Amino acid sequence: MATYQEFIQQNEDRDGVRFSWNVWPSSRLEATRMVVPLGCLFTPLKERPDLPPIQYDPVLCTRPTCRAILNPFCQIDYRAKMWACNFCYQRNPFPPQYAAISEQHQPAEIIPQFSTLEYTITRATCHPPIYLIVLDTCMEDDDLQAVKESLQMSLSLLPANALIGLITFGKMVQVHELGSEGVSKSYVFRGTKDLTAKQIQEMLGIGRGPTPQAQQRGPQAPQQQFQLPANRFLQPVHKCDMSLTDLLGELQRDPWPVAQGKRPLRSAGVALSIAVGLLECTFPNTGARIMMFLGGPCTQGPGMVVGDELKHPIRSHHDIEKDNCKYMKKAMKHYEGLGNRAAGNGHVIDIYSCALDQTGLHEMKFCPTYTGGHMVMGDSFNTSLFKQTFQRVFSKDQKGEFKMAFGATLEVKTSRELKVSGAIGPCVSLGVKGQAVSDTEIGLGGTCQWKMCGLYPNTSLAVFFEVVNQHNAPIPQGGRGYLQFITQYQHSSGQRRVRVSTVARNWADASTNIQHIAAGFDQEAAAVLMARIAVYRAETDDGPDVLRWLDRMLIRLCQKFGEYHKDDPNSFRFSENFSLYPQFMFHLRRSQFLQVFNNSPDETSYYRHMLNVEDLTQSLIMIQPILYAYSFHGPPEPVLLDTNSLQPDRILLMDTFFHIVIYHGETIDQWKKQGYADLPEYENFKQLLQAPVDDAQEILQTRFPMPRYIVSEAGGSQARFLLSKVNPSQTHNNMYGFGQEGGAPVLTDDVSLQVFMEHLKKLAVSSSS
Amino acid sequence: QEKRLIPTDGLETPRPNLYHDHKRVNCNPDVFRCTLNAIPQTSALLNKARLPLGILIHPFKDLSQLPVIQSSVIVRCRSCRTYINPFVTFVDQRRWKCNLCFRINELPDEFSFDPVTKTYGDPQRRPEIRSATIEFIAPSEYMLRPPQPAVYLFLLDVSFNAVETGYLRLFTQILVEELERLPGDARTQIGFLCYDRSLYFFNLAEGLSQPQMLVCPDLEDVFLPCPDDLLVNLHESKDMVTELLTQLPGLFEDNKETGSALGTALQAAFKLMTSTGGRITVMQTTLPTVGQGSLECREAGSQAASLNTSNMGPATDFYKKLALDCSAQQIAVDLFLLNGQYADIASVSCISKYSAGCVQYYPSFHTAKNPGMSDKFETDLRRYLTRKIGFESVMRIRLSIHTFHGNFFVRSTDLLSLPNVNPDAGFGMQMSIEDNLTESSNVCFQAALLYTSSKGERRIRVHTLCVPITNQLSDVTAGADQQAIAALLAKMAVDRTISSSLEDARDAMMNACLDMMSAYATQIPASQRVGALMAPSSLRLVPLFTLAMLKSDAFRLSASVRLDDRVYAHQQAKTMPTSYLLQSYYPHLYPVHSLSDENVIQVGKETIPKAPLLQLSSANVDRHGVYLMDQGEHMYMMVGGAVSDAFCRDVFDVPNFMSIPEGMTDLPELENPVSERVRSFVNHLMDARPCGVTFIVLREDSKMRHQFFRYMVEDRTESSMSYYEFLQFLQQKVKG
Ligand SMILES: [Zn+2]
Ligand SMILES: [Zn+2]
Repeated sequence: MATYQEFIQQNEDRDGVRFSWNVWPSSRLEATRMVVPLGCLFTPLKERPDLPPIQYDPVLCTRPTCRAILNPFCQIDYRAKMWACNFCYQRNPFPPQYAAISEQHQPAEIIPQFSTLEYTITRATCHPPIYLIVLDTCMEDDDLQAVKESLQMSLSLLPANALIGLITFGKMVQVHELGSEGVSKSYVFRGTKDLTAKQIQEMLGIGRGPTPQAQQRGPQAPQQQFQLPANRFLQPVHKCDMSLTDLLGELQRDPWPVAQGKRPLRSAGVALSIAVGLLECTFPNTGARIMMFLGGPCTQGPGMVVGDELKHPIRSHHDIEKDNCKYMKKAMKHYEGLGNRAAGNGHVIDIYSCALDQTGLHEMKFCPTYTGGHMVMGDSFNTSLFKQTFQRVFSKDQKGEFKMAFGATLEVKTSRELKVSGAIGPCVSLGVKGQAVSDTEIGLGGTCQWKMCGLYPNTSLAVFFEVVNQHNAPIPQGGRGYLQFITQYQHSSGQRRVRVSTVARNWADASTNIQHIAAGFDQEAAAVLMARIAVYRAETDDGPDVLRWLDRMLIRLCQKFGEYHKDDPNSFRFSENFSLYPQFMFHLRRSQFLQVFNNSPDETSYYRHMLNVEDLTQSLIMIQPILYAYSFHGPPEPVLLDTNSLQPDRILLMDTFFHIVIYHGETIDQWKKQGYADLPEYENFKQLLQAPVDDAQEILQTRFPMPRYIVSEAGGSQARFLLSKVNPSQTHNNMYGFGQEGGAPVLTDDVSLQVFMEHLKKLAVSSSS
Repeated sequence: QEKRLIPTDGLETPRPNLYHDHKRVNCNPDVFRCTLNAIPQTSALLNKARLPLGILIHPFKDLSQLPVIQSSVIVRCRSCRTYINPFVTFVDQRRWKCNLCFRINELPDEFSFDPVTKTYGDPQRRPEIRSATIEFIAPSEYMLRPPQPAVYLFLLDVSFNAVETGYLRLFTQILVEELERLPGDARTQIGFLCYDRSLYFFNLAEGLSQPQMLVCPDLEDVFLPCPDDLLVNLHESKDMVTELLTQLPGLFEDNKETGSALGTALQAAFKLMTSTGGRITVMQTTLPTVGQGSLECREAGSQAASLNTSNMGPATDFYKKLALDCSAQQIAVDLFLLNGQYADIASVSCISKYSAGCVQYYPSFHTAKNPGMSDKFETDLRRYLTRKIGFESVMRIRLSIHTFHGNFFVRSTDLLSLPNVNPDAGFGMQMSIEDNLTESSNVCFQAALLYTSSKGERRIRVHTLCVPITNQLSDVTAGADQQAIAALLAKMAVDRTISSSLEDARDAMMNACLDMMSAYATQIPASQRVGALMAPSSLRLVPLFTLAMLKSDAFRLSASVRLDDRVYAHQQAKTMPTSYLLQSYYPHLYPVHSLSDENVIQVGKETIPKAPLLQLSSANVDRHGVYLMDQGEHMYMMVGGAVSDAFCRDVFDVPNFMSIPEGMTDLPELENPVSERVRSFVNHLMDARPCGVTFIVLREDSKMRHQFFRYMVEDRTESSMSYYEFLQFLQQKVKG
């Protein structure tokens, strides 16, 4: 048998799933004693260029309460043309078109390597996506020009039959009519008054678009591109790209005067509400994304986050802690309501926020979070960070298809020993109760289905399970538990697709075979899942409690799976597949996800949003940044995220996901400043300088959103980005005591990893705890 | 004798009987006249005469000759602020005596200085002393703020109904053609606001590639969609304006929206104009049914609805309140009502009434179905767009007034607020005599109109009217101006209708008529009284005009008069200059079948035939003849059934009477003397008036013949007396 590491990798590659535990404790009691809950990080649309094209509907179990999809784990009776459901044991006849199956002639869905399979539903109508631009015009001319150019550029990237719309806002909100010749028309609304979808519909004089159900053809009709009934505000790109380009070109800064000492009146709340309402009344349940470009905070009307007096700054974490925010709760209620409505209609809300100060992402976060929208934060639209990031939204995969999907639902089916506790990720609950739904909730619980209006190849959901088998019940027949993830979504081509992943894991009796269960521990998955829970709790509970909870959980894990003699910290040992976990927790505790006071509420919301969305690899980078060292002593190598890694003759490259930091050690920096790189005889120095830059470029060019790129040097002010992340093994508190060579002290009162570990061991082995 | 009440060449306007010099310079009665050309010295004497005392003024009438002076001093009485005028007396070379308050004032040196000869001369040479109508270019102390530019905002109904009438295409086409001729200067501003259930603003900033339409569908609280560029400099944005006007009809071609948010549109217009003031022109084709100031149809239901006085007044004070707000910001609102169905003119017109705007009404307007009305609209609109206009105006009348008639807001006892003043607006004022007029032999009335010209000049137009005072009742009676009296009675009757009822107003008119006759009767010794009704020649037409008014749309006691028509007639009675008002009650009737080359007048190079005026009695209409009735706004050419085939051929280009098509609105241009004479006669009449006129040819057997015969006010009808019967009725009352 392959190692667990290989097994985990294989499963992730094939099914897009990483479990905290790969061998499942067979009873409820034992499962609760595992400390880290049974769960997985599931990536529904993990890129699988190798999947065979399946152009028919999946075969469903006929038991009405089950409806699981035929999969490789089902037992097949080729002679009787029957299959047995591995979830409910129902025996089902194959449909007539499967009459020719045999052991030699198997359909893809029962071949073991296709535990994940994607069906294209041919009878559903195909919808081109809808893009509704919501553009702030209270910006400096440079910024507005930059965002206008980016938008004009994006028109050429959109499919010609996609519908596009434009809403601009400043003091007023303008809904632009597109594609008409001559006089340009827009509908103007006050930025201080919220309107219902019905009011918007009446005021814009538009009819309700036919619902997708009403458009469905006969079962045999081939799936074809179907043009949505455009209205004056949402027009096919091919019909209006010229006029929209002109319209954007002519767009001016908000014309209303802004008095000295005031912020511009910016109606982001109403603008977003109108965008949501417009799509709600015209294209409910059709893939659509609202792309909001925000250059500052909303200062009037519903959703305002700060007044227009510049002397009153926008709320900080301290204000929030002291409950000293006049607008926050009301604004959050507004945006949460919008997020829920958009999610209910299957529409995505992206927020591109570019400003030096906060814009209210903290209040608006619900919109992207509930709908699977992008949240992008930058200083200015006139930066490559924004421009490249925005361009990447429209990037395509190897097949030339957009890496975005719409209107997805994820359904989880479980075998009888398991129930679903909940999910954490960019989704909303569909509130579908069933036998498989647990009473114990983690994240969004009480349902076995979630809606993700926007999802991408990286989008990952943390899903948690509860073992319900009683302690005295026998291990189920076959010794395996099953889960089936059914993701129905609108592909970027407009096709309706269903992706099915069926996974199985072995049961083990923890009372007798705890080592088997321990061996199946995936510390990376566990760290990310715990991080998601911690952030979820931090968003709802108080921060310090979360840290205490994390510590408690870590200690308990050590107690359960560590090897030690009571009250002897030095005896503590962790097996290899647990050994990195405390370190992950150490960095998670110190991370910007849980330590908020060095950041603005907007930054916190942005960081947490990304952690809530990304896949395992990226999430781990966020929790524990990666550090590479470049020197003349050998090829580039990963080094510990520790102050000791800061050496004078090294260049460091740190990837925190959000930042790419290049750090030149003292000596390197001196050489550089003395211009050695320009001398032909120091060609190798030039190459050394260039190597991390090239590596950084590679990351910068692929990651979404594009990270902030920082070049710093020892003693430079920008070095703080690196210093705040590394383990403070040397600080001003201890450096004299240790007196070690090299390394750089970190000005922090945080405990170092070493101290942290010592405390941990002490507590873990203590007989009193 | 009674058959020729009206001379064949029209009525003469009586003038105050002053000594020669004063008579010569006195104010033109078409501009300024008094109902009595001899003012009773005491109120007791006025009571005895039982004649209404009032003045009628047409202050901004287009004048062929108007002395304009730019002088560093404007000489006014230090006590009552009267402008120096031809009727003052010079105590000596350096002092003058005010003819209104009799204060002796110093005469500034400059007044006698002649800049041409550079000598001090006789102050009598000054134009102020030589003309009763004069205009000053005012120095800065006459300005509360720098003169504002001419600002024109057009509010256009673009609802389904509006588009259907075809007016929008016609309007935009005419405006494009007349754009250059809008009164103004380099600063002139223009803007457009369309409305149905939504408001449509237009950003016309120069430099845009296209006009931008900004739609505001939320009527709940009105706001401007952008801070600038909704009103733009006409010259800088001319291309944009022309482009918009060219595209506008197409933009709303397929509009199915029937709602009309006039009130909300007016509120938005008010906001737009607040800082500058100016003129708002409204084109409305339907009842405002949505938004602020929306109205309900009051005409539906019982027949009595159109006789119910409460329906003749406004249903809401919304339009009045807004009009007063407009007035305070120097904004006037003019209404063009192009409605086929009831549009509640009574309510809507308040916006013009109190903001000194004008109201024009084109019932059943339709460019295709009603070409006559369409032609009238076109003529009116061209005149409207290009006629003189004054902004930020006030008019002060120096005399003792108790009631005003016209469209304005009374700011203080003698000061009328006129955000706009136009050359076609008339006003009336009723007066009382408070103190005995013993100090002088004359009384003077002075009207001073202070306004900003479309070129941004502050100007004052001053009219002074001088009337002799008498202590003789016979002089009072003899000096009565029966036309002015009739016009003033009409204005008073409108007030009476609204405040009381139509019946009361009719009774009041008849009583006024009776009072005059009775008062005259008492002046005649019993021995000289004959059986017939006695009337002095100065008042002989009063019964006829009274009867005509009783039969008019304004005062007819008939449910068949549509409410809007009646209300518009009331509005006209209040604002029409006197001669046009009387013509609308008692139209001019001419026989045109016998125009000849012999009786002609020469106008420039043109020879215009003359025709005698006929009285409005069917007895004057012969089956062999063809008659033109000129009501002022409408002309009817009635063709008798026995008209000659030759006339039909020559004038109508048809072989005979039976071939004359129904509803001809134009005479064919035929090259024969008969046609040419008829056309030049008709055209001359048309050209002589400021407003447009509908023209229609009616055959004697047409079902539309009543349009002509309804004006035969001397005839008896089923429900009304003939003139003869009316005289008998009056006579009995006088006796009783
Ligand atoms: Zn089943
Ligand atoms: Zn005086």
